[in-house]
This record gives sequence, structure tokens and C-alpha cells, in this order.
Amino acid sequence: MSGTVSVAIVKRLPGFTLDVRWEADQSVIGLFGPSGAGKTLTLQCLAGLMRPDAGRIVVGDRVFFDAAAGVDLPPQGRRIGYVFQGYGLFPHLTVARNIAFGLRGRPRAARARRAAEVMERLGLGGLERRYPDELSGGERQRVALGRALAIDPALLLLDEPLSALDAPLRRALRDELGEILRAWGTAAVVVTHDFTEAYRLADRIVVYENGRVVQAAPRAELLWQPASETVAKIMGLRNVLRGSVVKAAPDRIQLSWRGQTLEAVNSPTRSYLPPPESPIAFFIRPEYVRLVRKDRSAPDLHHMNLMRGRIVGEADFGTVWILRIRLDAPGEPAQGEFDLEVEVPHLVYEILEIERDRHWEFSIHRGSIHVLPA
Amino acid sequence: MDLFPLWLSLRVSLSATALTLLAGVPIAWLLARRRFPGRNLLEAVVVLPLVLPPTVLGYYLLVLIGRRGPLGQALASVGLELAFTWGAAVLAAVVGSIALVIKSVQAGFETVDVQLEQAARTLGRSEWSVFWSVTLPLAWRSVLAGTVLAFCRALGEFGITLMVAGNIPGRTQTLPLAIYDRVQANLMDEANALALVAVGIVVVLLFGLSRLARLRY
Repeated sequence: MSGTVSVAIVKRLPGFTLDVRWEADQSVIGLFGPSGAGKTLTLQCLAGLMRPDAGRIVVGDRVFFDAAAGVDLPPQGRRIGYVFQGYGLFPHLTVARNIAFGLRGRPRAARARRAAEVMERLGLGGLERRYPDELSGGERQRVALGRALAIDPALLLLDEPLSALDAPLRRALRDELGEILRAWGTAAVVVTHDFTEAYRLADRIVVYENGRVVQAAPRAELLWQPASETVAKIMGLRNVLRGSVVKAAPDRIQLSWRGQTLEAVNSPTRSYLPPPESPIAFFIRPEYVRLVRKDRSAPDLHHMNLMRGRIVGEADFGTVWILRIRLDAPGEPAQGEFDLEVEVPHLVYEILEIERDRHWEFSIHRGSIHVLPA
Repeated sequence: MDLFPLWLSLRVSLSATALTLLAGVPIAWLLARRRFPGRNLLEAVVVLPLVLPPTVLGYYLLVLIGRRGPLGQALASVGLELAFTWGAAVLAAVVGSIALVIKSVQAGFETVDVQLEQAARTLGRSEWSVFWSVTLPLAWRSVLAGTVLAFCRALGEFGITLMVAGNIPGRTQTLPLAIYDRVQANLMDEANALALVAVGIVVVLLFGLSRLARLRY
């Protein structure tokens, strides 16, 4: 399935305007962003259930919508598989009839064969005569997928496919969904407000905020190089901080924060060279902050960006502890009561006896301080 | 005892119920699913028969279908006469009961999740097919309830019928009119028997309805 999905649309609603433009030829595209950012609206426009005010939608070599040329294919003519939030299974039809619903128009035998084949591939054998309310969450998801995939769609749309499930099931089904998407090889657009989900399912991620696209990048690039503070916040990154530039070079950036001078690696793909004194946003992943062991006397040369601070708050998350650290520096802490969130494995917490010892020196490798271009 | 009023009433009510469904279900669908100019007006007009006095409705219908009325003249030109026939009784029953069907079915359609209809569209189904395979099967309870209500209302129709169909024994005298007639003539035993028949029909229908409502789809 090699098809480029190209979306450039404007849709004005009372109190909200969707104005997005993105293009992707990856097989699974993630639309990621907070609720109400316009992700579902984009899916509806793609499916032909909502008519944009302006713009163009092209999937593969088929123009679905082109306001200027007066093209607007009805949903029936788009061959789009839409897996709705909450699945939208027909409650009055059995699993078999749900899956065969889009096959009308084919000969009866062909219909039955296709439905049986889809059910077999999705592991739904034996459930033919069940009704949707007699299925588990995972089975419902597969029936919804099967119904959409049965018509051999040009593009599969999935709206928050996992939101109807509770947490443990959610993780299992996320991986199952990923496998199904890869196995069928159908181009897909997945809407989610959960970054982990977007990262696990999509090859390319388009970040939405308030009706606009704030970044579109391959998933790894997004993970390590959010384009802005806004994107970092939407991704739920912790320790998104603000300092000022001391010196910027193509490979390194020195910045000043809370009276400390920190050294960070500049972005390898697009060097960012702001003038000295200019404000700069950056983030530090809590799991990349290293506590300096007090039982090792020799100074460790690998430690850089050394700082001292005191633990002012902590929370046990089972396998890890989250520590809130306030620097030994004058002035207001950066994040209310504290400056940095630091994540340490449970075992480390016990070995270092952090419960008793509240005052620590810690270091951050320059590669773990991520600069966010303004 | 003359059972003609009973047979006439059943014939009139069944015909009226069929016509009411035929006209009422599309109107209910329009009101539930489409936004169009004049929608509010239509919504108000639909309720009128429920709130106007039956004699007032009957009067205007008579003006419409009487010899001098626009509809009456049009029918007369093709050799038909509606006023004071059993057809007029059917018309009276339709007018009296259509609001019940429209309101009940509209409410039923409105409870059907629009998302299911959209799913059907993305799966290639035409609007016609979406209606028959998704909307109607999911709203069938409301359609059935509306049908039974309409039939009962048609069976009990009195005021409008009296105005437009008259009270002609053996021709347009329906069950309620016959009961009224018997009471006027002080034939209380006959009135009692006919009233019991009416009660019996309605009780059986409502019982059947409650049994059907237990089915899933």
C-alpha cells in the first residue's frame, strides 16, 4: 500500500476553527494532541462525514475533496474504513453481520467468504452469532477493525481506538492493534491523546493543538526533538524549563538556569543559534538525571552539569520513585516548590538509602538536556 | 345486536393507522435528522391536532373537503365524494392520531446514535439503506408504540369524525358514535356491550405491546 495522504483543510465551527495542513506517506500516521484539538474533526473530513469549508484532501491518487475544483466525494464513494471511538458496532446485528455490513453488493457467496476470512485472520472464529453486547472489550475492538478492514479500505481511520478500555487491557490491546495494523499493511490514521499510544502505533506523528498542527515528524524525532515548548507540554514531558542563552554553537549550547550554567547538545539535525541573553526553553527527562554516589570517593569525570539540592517531595510509583528536588540556590524554584523532577528505580532508592538521606549532588549529561527552539 | 359499528371502526382504524405510518414516519425522520427552513413551523403544525378542540379540527376539515371546499371540488371533478363517507372517517382518524406517531417515532429516531448511521455510510450504504438497516431496526420499539397509540386513538376518534363523516347508521356510524347514540336512546345494555368491546380491543393491544417490548431487536 503506497499512498500519500495529503490533508490541507479549513473548517470553521462556532467557537472553533480547524486549519491544518499535513502530508504523510508512512503506513501508520498518528494524530496526537489534547482533546478538542480537532483530531476527530480531521478524521470526519477524511471520511466525508464533515465537509471542510476550504482546502483539499488527497489519498493515494484519488482526490476526495477539493473546494476549488468542486470535488467532494460522498462517504460511500471513498472506501474508507472508520473505526469509531467506542467502536460504533451495530447492536442489533451479530458479529458476522457486522463484519459483512460493508460487503453489500457482492454476491452472497463472496460476501460470506470474505467475512469468514476476515474473522479467521482476526481470531474471531466462533463468535459469528454473538451480539456486540456479548463481547469483551478486546473482541469488540477486533470486530470493529474487521468490519472496517473487510471492505479492503484505501485508508483506515481509528479514533481513540483504546479509550473504551481500562488500563491493563489497554496496554495489551495497544500492542495487539499495532500487530494487526502491521500485518494487514493498510495505511492508517490513528487519533490519540496519549503520547505512548501514538508512539507505539504510528510511524509518523502529527501534533495538534487548538485546531492547528504544531509539529509533524517521524516518531523518534518527535520524541527526542519536540519542536517547541508547546509540543513538549502537549507530550506531557516533565521538567520543561526556561533559562537564557549564554553561548550557542552548532554542536553545543550553554545556558544559564537558576544561577547554574548548563551545557546542552544542540540539535544535530537543525542547529539552533539564538543570540546570547535570549530566553530559551529546554527539558530534562526525569529518568536521565543521575544522583552522585557518596560512597565513591574518586570524582567521576563523566559527571557534568553538577548541581546540589535537597529532596522536598517524593512519590512511590511502584517500580520507580519520583523525587522532587529543590536546588541549593537562591531565588524561587522553577516549578513551584521544586526545581527538578528526578526518577530513580526502586532498587537504587533502597541501595542509596534515599529515604534517610535527603541532600544530594546530581548530574545531567549534556545529551540529556533537550533544547526547545522558540 | 348490530355489530356494524365494530367492523367499521376496525376498518377505519386499520386504514388510518397504515396511512398515519406512511406519512408520519418520513415526517418524523425529517424532524429528527434534517435541518431545513420551516422545520420549526412543521414541528408546531404537527402538534396542532393534539391541542385544538376536535370540533374545530373537524370544522376546518369539512370546509376543506365539503362540496364547496377546494379539496371537495377537486375530488368531485373526478367523480369522488369524501365528506360523510367512511373515507372521511379515515381522514378524521388520521388527523386525530398522526401527531402521536410522529412524536413517538421522532423520539425513537433521536435516540439512535448518529455515529451508527455514519458508520453505515462509510461502509458504502446509501441513505435509503442506512434508514432500513440501521435507523429503523434500532427505533422499532418507538415505531411500534406509536402505531399502537395511533390505532387506539383512531378507534376512539369521535369529534372530528362526527363533523366530517356524520353519524349515519350503517354507513359512517363508528363504535364511539354508536355508543353515544345508544346512550341517547337510553339503550344502556347495548351501550354497555359496545363499550366493553372497545375496552377489550385496547387491553389486548396494550398487553401485546408490553410482551413485544421485551424482545431485544
